[in-house]
Amino acid sequence: MDNLILQLKNQIIEVLNLEDMTPEDIDAEAPLFGDGLGLDSIDALELIVLLEREYGIKLSNPAEGKQIFKSIASIADYVSKNRKK
Amino acid sequence: MKTIAEISITPNRTILNGDTISTANIAGLYREFVGDYPKFFKMDSLCKLGFIGSELLLKGINAEEKENAAIILFNRNGSLITDRNYQKTITDDNYFPSPALFVYTLANIVTGEIAIRNKIYGESSFYVLNNQDMDLMNDIINNTYLTSSPTFILTGWVDFDDEHNYEAKLKLVTK
Repeated sequence: MDNLILQLKNQIIEVLNLEDMTPEDIDAEAPLFGDGLGLDSIDALELIVLLEREYGIKLSNPAEGKQIFKSIASIADYVSKNRKK
Repeated sequence: MKTIAEISITPNRTILNGDTISTANIAGLYREFVGDYPKFFKMDSLCKLGFIGSELLLKGINAEEKENAAIILFNRNGSLITDRNYQKTITDDNYFPSPALFVYTLANIVTGEIAIRNKIYGESSFYVLNNQDMDLMNDIINNTYLTSSPTFILTGWVDFDDEHNYEAKLKLVTK
């Protein structure tokens, strides 16, 4: 799980252009939206694309998103249980 | 029309009110003079260029003055570089379009980024012209005063072709 969390941190830094940020700067348990990383709705779309492209996961139920994208740790948990690749 | 402040940004030199203040590129200018707005890194190149120009021009202008200001910008290339980058993400058969790129496939997004940062609620517009037609640009700026009374107008040319070819010639003007 730690490897997956690190991989997700690096992927998120890359796709969201979080320049000057390193994986160590991101608390896996911290909120991604609002406080914490302060991501916005466009970033949420980018994360959905990331899950599909890198892990073959299609989010068919938008209501799930709020829980899945709560933190890096929650994304990692969902990816580990639902990844297709 | 009276010019309050003006700035010129090219890859080699940034001149503010006649003084060369830096030779850094756009990211270098951000680190040198701004540094507190992480959203900068998510912007496309055109927005970064316009944003940096506006940050340097608007330093010292208070929030009340900015609230009713107008933003009127011009360029030649529109958002072409981002349009091309976005197109690359949708050319494969099994493509994954980038939402973060797509939102910048309009040139006028730069006026919105500047307005959001500075809480500017006045008129904003963006014109794509064949060249820097000063007569036409001045007509458009002057016409703004026929329909509204902005405290000042942030206006000028902001054009990004590639990392070696970009130019912002922006100014703050009043009636």
